[in-house]
Amino acid sequence: MDSNPQQLRDPANAAIDDLLYKVAAGDRSAFEQLYRSTASRLLGTCLRVLPDRLEAEDVLQEVFVTAWNKASQFDAQRSGGMTWLASIARHRAIDRLRGLPAQAAHAPIEFAETTADPAPAPAAAAEADAERTRLDDCLQRLEPKRRTLINSAFFDGSTYEELARRCGSPLGSVKSWIRRGLLQLRTCLES
Amino acid sequence: MNTTVSPSEQEPGEPTGDDLRAAEYVLGVLDAAERREVQQRMIDDASLARRVEEWEQRFAPWLSRVAAVEPSALVWPRITQRLGWRTAAAKPALRDNAAFWRRTAALATAAALAAVAFGLTRPQPAVTTVAGEEQAARPVTVLARDNGAAAWIARVDAARGKVLMVPVPSPLDGSGRVNELWIIPVGGTPHSLGFLSNDKAHTIDVPAGLRNAVAAGAIFAVTLEDQSGIPHAAPSSPIVAKGSIQSI
Repeated sequence: MDSNPQQLRDPANAAIDDLLYKVAAGDRSAFEQLYRSTASRLLGTCLRVLPDRLEAEDVLQEVFVTAWNKASQFDAQRSGGMTWLASIARHRAIDRLRGLPAQAAHAPIEFAETTADPAPAPAAAAEADAERTRLDDCLQRLEPKRRTLINSAFFDGSTYEELARRCGSPLGSVKSWIRRGLLQLRTCLES
Repeated sequence: MNTTVSPSEQEPGEPTGDDLRAAEYVLGVLDAAERREVQQRMIDDASLARRVEEWEQRFAPWLSRVAAVEPSALVWPRITQRLGWRTAAAKPALRDNAAFWRRTAALATAAALAAVAFGLTRPQPAVTTVAGEEQAARPVTVLARDNGAAAWIARVDAARGKVLMVPVPSPLDGSGRVNELWIIPVGGTPHSLGFLSNDKAHTIDVPAGLRNAVAAGAIFAVTLEDQSGIPHAAPSSPIVAKGSIQSI
């Protein structure tokens, strides 16, 4: 995307971008600073999809090793540093989750028929309205099933199959709801 | 190109092809094989990589919406080890058995930390310098003395019927007796797992008949026994250290 309206350009994020550029140049002390300033948030990201603390901490190690090795690929014009790091963390955690033996099932998903968001993003309640993003607004416009499934999928890292099991709906329907929801989200975000 | 939606599943208005695949990948709904396929394709397919990046940006506001959790103090040193920033420890004699040493390193580190927690000793620098690569993270059981001091750390590999025991080294009592490890199942009587070193980490093979006994809720216990006759049918002296297995 050419513009990044949702990418907060506050000083803290800019500092992370700068640290990543230094890391790309092989600056070890910048790398340690980067760790000190982002590790707790990235562990939170890993734990969200991978609740086992030891697994999550092992993934966190991988994330930072990857960050060191791939920092030269980071481009602040395309992605904020924190988003770049958190994406690595989330994907590593999901990959690890997929490699583990059958996990304890996530809670069943129940579709609320109200228009209120039945499953607000974690910590959302504690956030000021100012924190509410375009993404939240666009999600809110989806019909409840699509909204609930997309929210659960993102925050739990569940596969289509797991989501179908959790909500007791046919796999084909779940796929269709999510795919249509994704299209709507894209359209809304680009409007 | 539309490789992601079979005609039977496709309904009008659904996004198709690579953009959908990218969205599904970022959302996290693909299974392991599908994820690998996307990751492989992204290496050479700049267009797909770009689409993934765009979807990452779309969901970026949610990425930060997680509670921060402070990592344990072990994470940073292990990252620097993985990056090779620390000189490796003296090469162990059993270095060909890399997996053993990785496990030992992990446990020794845990033991050192436990020892610190119990005010026993400072961590030995050497134990944190053994490279810890990919390793299955497993819970450990601390076997503590009556005064609360950690004496051994046990790490159970249930799949292979092995228990790695790492001591916090301590002298024997001079009576000529040695440590014998016991497993006490929930509601059961002690069964010997054999000799236990007071100063060296080693792996104990759990007899097939006792593997089910080494489970959450069971207790590891150590007594001082005559070396001859190990494994004994029953302990003959008081427990010097014990720990309950919380999870395997």
